[in-house]
Amino acid sequence: MTGPMTVDTHDNNDRTTLLVHAYVDGELDPANAIAIEQRIASEPALAAERARVEALRRALRERLPQEPAPAALREKVRRAAGLTRQRAQPTWMALAASLALAIFASSTGTWYAMQPPVGGSVPDAVIAGHLRALMAPQPADVASSDRHTVKPWFSGRIPLAPRVVDLVQDGFPLVGGRVDVVNRTPVPSLVYSRRQHLISLTAVPNASVGNRTSQTVQGYNMIAWTADGMTYWAVSDLNLQELEMFTRLFRAAPS
Amino acid sequence: MSGDDNTARFERIVQPHLGDAYALARWITGSRADAEDVVQDACLRAFRAIGGYAGGNTRAWMLTIVRNTAYTWLARNRSAVVMAVDDLVSIESANAGQAATSASGRYDANPEAELIAKADAARLEAAITALPPQFRDTLVLRDIQGLDYREIAAVTEVPVGTVMSRLARARQRLIEAIAADDR
Repeated sequence: MTGPMTVDTHDNNDRTTLLVHAYVDGELDPANAIAIEQRIASEPALAAERARVEALRRALRERLPQEPAPAALREKVRRAAGLTRQRAQPTWMALAASLALAIFASSTGTWYAMQPPVGGSVPDAVIAGHLRALMAPQPADVASSDRHTVKPWFSGRIPLAPRVVDLVQDGFPLVGGRVDVVNRTPVPSLVYSRRQHLISLTAVPNASVGNRTSQTVQGYNMIAWTADGMTYWAVSDLNLQELEMFTRLFRAAPS
Repeated sequence: MSGDDNTARFERIVQPHLGDAYALARWITGSRADAEDVVQDACLRAFRAIGGYAGGNTRAWMLTIVRNTAYTWLARNRSAVVMAVDDLVSIESANAGQAATSASGRYDANPEAELIAKADAARLEAAITALPPQFRDTLVLRDIQGLDYREIAAVTEVPVGTVMSRLARARQRLIEAIAADDR
């Protein structure tokens, strides 16, 4: 090999191919992206490469979504690291994990004896997720105002992708999405904005709060409601009237 | 740093990435049961190292540990699977030339793209499994797990340029393998 060791390119053709891939991956800076876009437009071979790569990426995304870790593994890992002190509230996933673990543990001993009672509440966990997001460099792990980008991003990460609606016309643009952990279960949070305020909307499976509740926790307004087997928690430092307007719009919007 | 702090950090840094960890381990080992062993082993390593964790990208940090653990595990349990680096270098350079020809040789419509669009999950999975390990890891990290180039470079411990070339080769091999089914 005669070229630099870091890029195994043999000629310009090959280097251009790498740039087409990087372009499809959104990895080029704007100047390079525009340059390669122009070449793709004028060179059919590059356009064909782009189409192949996009077809492959789409097929992989649609047909090989990431398989979630077995529920029992999460508890096994905790046990292995000696982290079995707090106990999550019994959501269905935790129940499934306990059941699997009970079978697993019945041969190995006294797992239940080591379990002290219940830890934090769902609203606390939701607030914690919101606060963490405010402190992080980015409030969302996937930053996009396009719901068709945000929704698929979740599908590789959590079992149930959330409902994502477009409320930009109503003055609540989508900022992106992230995965929070509530009751030790990864759950989707959508991030919307209103002026300078961010709204986190966290969807927790199977934890009913009745029809609707609102409360103020640590100075943040929270509104929760249950729909389609999910409890949605909207949390923000936005005033309660506008937060209520947001939740009304979200519930009424077509998916 | 107290034990409680480490416990909290473990919950915050490691647990959110368990799904990613398991998925990567499954691709590398090719087995669900082995993947569980690898992830448990990796989590123990992560827990021991967490006091010294300096910050930064937690997912890349976790996946780096998982990948290293998986290869150590494979070397111990199934030494034949791990390919020697010499072999890999020759594959990478042999493919570089081939890739250039295939990219420049086609000006017509796109039969491969259509075949790929029709390939089912089992076929895609088999084609990925057949890739040389370093190509497969790069492809899985990018196209299934959604890491960006910089994160993949961190996890696979190579420069970004190598990530780019491995990714392009891996994709071209998949495309060729799937297109070959139709001939």
